[in-house]
Amino acid sequence: MLNKIQNLNYLLIFLVILISFIGAAGLYSAAGGSYNPWASRHLIRLVLFIFLAIILALINIKFIYQFAYIFFILSLFLLLSVEIIGVFGKGATRWINVFGFSIQPSELIKITIILALARFYHDLKFDEIKRIKNLFFPILILFLPFALVVIQPDLGTALSIAMLGILILFASGIRIWKFVLGFFALIISIPLSLNYLQPYQKDRIFSFLNPEADALGRGYQLIQSKIALGSGGLTGKGFLEGSQSYLQYLPEKQTDFIFTLIGEEFGFIGTIFIILLFLLLISVCFYISIKSNHIFGRILSVGVGSNIFIYVIMNISMVSGLMPVVGIPLPLVSYGGSAMLAIIISLGLVLNAELNGNLKKLQNA
Amino acid sequence: MFYSDDKKQYSVLNRRTFLLYLLKVSFFGIVGWRLYNIQIKDSQKYKTLSKNNQIDVEIIYPLRGIIYDTNKKILASNVKVFDVYIIPENTKNINKSLSKLNQIIRIDFSDRRKIIELSKKVKKFEKIKVLENINWSELEKIEANKLNIEGIFISQDYMRTYQFGNTVSHLIGYTNKPNREEVELPFITNMPDLEIGKDGIEKSFNPNLVGKSGQREIEVNSYGRVIREISRQDSQRGNDIQITIDLRIQQYALNLLKEHKAGSAVLMDINNGNILCMASTPSYNPNKIIQKPNKKYWDSILANELSPLTYRCIQGLYAPGSTFKMVVAIAGIVHGIIDTNTKHFCSGKIGLGDRLYHCWKNNGHGSMNVSNAIKESCDVFFYEISKKIGIDKIARVAEDFGLGKIYDVPLPNQKKGIIPSRDWKKKKYDESWYPGETLISAIGQGFVLTNPLQLAVMTSIIASNGKNVKPNIIKKNNDIEFEKLEKYHSAIEIIKSSMFKVVNESSGTAYNSRSTSAPFAGKTGTSQVRRITVAERESEDFRKKEVEWKKRDHALFVGYMPVENPRYAVSVVIEHGGSGASTAAPIAKEIFQFTKNLEI
Repeated sequence: MLNKIQNLNYLLIFLVILISFIGAAGLYSAAGGSYNPWASRHLIRLVLFIFLAIILALINIKFIYQFAYIFFILSLFLLLSVEIIGVFGKGATRWINVFGFSIQPSELIKITIILALARFYHDLKFDEIKRIKNLFFPILILFLPFALVVIQPDLGTALSIAMLGILILFASGIRIWKFVLGFFALIISIPLSLNYLQPYQKDRIFSFLNPEADALGRGYQLIQSKIALGSGGLTGKGFLEGSQSYLQYLPEKQTDFIFTLIGEEFGFIGTIFIILLFLLLISVCFYISIKSNHIFGRILSVGVGSNIFIYVIMNISMVSGLMPVVGIPLPLVSYGGSAMLAIIISLGLVLNAELNGNLKKLQNA
Repeated sequence: MFYSDDKKQYSVLNRRTFLLYLLKVSFFGIVGWRLYNIQIKDSQKYKTLSKNNQIDVEIIYPLRGIIYDTNKKILASNVKVFDVYIIPENTKNINKSLSKLNQIIRIDFSDRRKIIELSKKVKKFEKIKVLENINWSELEKIEANKLNIEGIFISQDYMRTYQFGNTVSHLIGYTNKPNREEVELPFITNMPDLEIGKDGIEKSFNPNLVGKSGQREIEVNSYGRVIREISRQDSQRGNDIQITIDLRIQQYALNLLKEHKAGSAVLMDINNGNILCMASTPSYNPNKIIQKPNKKYWDSILANELSPLTYRCIQGLYAPGSTFKMVVAIAGIVHGIIDTNTKHFCSGKIGLGDRLYHCWKNNGHGSMNVSNAIKESCDVFFYEISKKIGIDKIARVAEDFGLGKIYDVPLPNQKKGIIPSRDWKKKKYDESWYPGETLISAIGQGFVLTNPLQLAVMTSIIASNGKNVKPNIIKKNNDIEFEKLEKYHSAIEIIKSSMFKVVNESSGTAYNSRSTSAPFAGKTGTSQVRRITVAERESEDFRKKEVEWKKRDHALFVGYMPVENPRYAVSVVIEHGGSGASTAAPIAKEIFQFTKNLEI
């Protein structure tokens, strides 16, 4: 036990804390130089979730392996119940109350998808992977939550689930041509899925294509967020000096658009520093994956790393106008409990995979 | 077995993981490049946008103060008008909207083209003015069809309006957009589009009339669209102004003047200097200047050779002619050159040096004292006494009686005129004074130039027995007491009795204009506008001949009423009116009678 604690990957834990502290600084600034209401809670959550993650890291990986499908099905039910509440209750929602906590199941499902897929490929013999019929189960694992999230409707999460699935399937070693096929299927499905989109989602896509068309309305966020980033320049306006956010120009500055606030106050140096921290975090996950002596750990670590990658890329692309505004937070930086919980817990799983990664090492210990 | 050792699978997984890692690094690279472009390359652009983003201050223009006459009749005020605008983003087809509007009110094809061109240049949420100052029936028609015409909206505005058009136009002036120099004026402060007074009272009292601007702090985004109002401070209307003009007299006088091509009439209250009437013809209609387009009207004003923009009461300079003789006579009495018994013989002309100086009466007046000389306006008497008085003494008295001065009244562009003296000529022409010039000046010809207001002030000072009456145009509540020029008192008494005789004795020059209902005293003047040649003078009837209008003499009359304890002083000038007795005096009489009737 003590040995395990000693062998924890402290670089990864340090990165989580560092990025979360940057997030707290951003939230402090977003509140106009106040810990309330966001920064203080953000830090409390950090402490709580890291504690949770370390506990998770210390339990036997076989236990997690055994419960992978159960976790997936449980989270799927949570997602479904959000759907049902949405239909019979107070309209569209993404939240559910679990033991007094407000939780967004769509954030948790990504982790259980990774677990389920990791278990599936762990169980599958390598030769079997080529068979088409063995694509059925992973695609089902992806499709069920994807469909539920799409009708929620939560475009960003749906997209990130699809991307996550593609990346994990790729990492698990299935044939490249199947990806080409899958890619075309995705392209074809875009116009079809447009029909399912809510008017506000269509607006977002159209405003992405031409933000100046309606600077006050739909394109507003995007323009303001670019102004915030751009006016930061190389070194930024300085901590607490960002005028865009104080003048209420930045909408949702504490959640999805926190990156632009940091970009305005700390400039290009600040934004690149954050990107490098995330790259380092993902690199650590991938390193753990390659070191791992079991497929479950490998897929798990690649999956978690990819999940963080998807969050980061989608968020930054969104605020810098590379893709439509879809509502994806920046991991560990944006305010919001569910996403933070999902990210830190998933990193706890990666820590676990590393601790249990090498049989020889375990035996030597 | 949980742990596996499948080398083949691991090498595939390693390869895939490596490829995935490369993909991720390259995506981070793309995002990084994007951030570089926004934060470093285009940073300047966004910095500017960020500054513009934020708070804008919109000025709320104040309403201009109202101008009243002495009886609180409104002379200038702000009238609600309606303008029609079009907002490009609110219509699918701006051309269609405009042609629909055209069916209700005609809009020139070229104007429509201009609006469409403009709509392509401005931000599409910016309103474009289509029609200005539409009338009620047009407004009703547009309101009724508003739903059919996409993108139009009607906005209320205020337009400066002059209720009595050209009656007081010179005095009140008009408003217009400031020109480049005027933009710097302090009262404009932050209102570049403020309509300011360009002439008359409107100009002099700009700082009072303008009022204080209000402002609206609005948050705008980087494209200038208003997001919300942060604060609002309403504007303060300008101060009202009440002037001393009595509109009734002004209108009456102007109607009398209109029978002639050009002229002016000034009526003053001697007791307080209040100007009751200051009419000038031809005049202009300020409403036609304010309403755009005004080019045609401007062109017609500028093309008019009588120059309707000139305010003849203060800008018209005339040789005072015989109306100047009172000043010369007073100078003579005060300096002991003459008394009531001093006589000079008028043979119709006198010689000085190698020149002859003629009296208007070719055959001469015979023996004249000062009283008769004024009554019959004998020139020779004044030639004689002026030789003894000298020009400098005459000039000093003339200035004491308000001539050759710009008054401290808020009337812009007053013309000073000329009261000649030796010093003046030296400065002006670097020449010494010739004795003959004194003679010419003594009958108000030659260099002497005065404006009608100065003549009215001069008459007021005489009528008040030498009180230093100062003209006043802004109504004041407290009465003012003018200081008295005691040294002129006795001289003025002599002059006043002479002026009484001018109108009320059978040989007086203005006897034909005497009034029983409003007896008055005065002095006629006829000022030459050209030199009369010897040949003309020798032909007996040169004064009776019909001469071209431009060559005719100016007709002047100054007077006061009532004879005892005078209250009103008048000056009437009719350009090229012939003689003061025949043209100007009757107008003075009418004005006096009308004014007297108002008192009851």
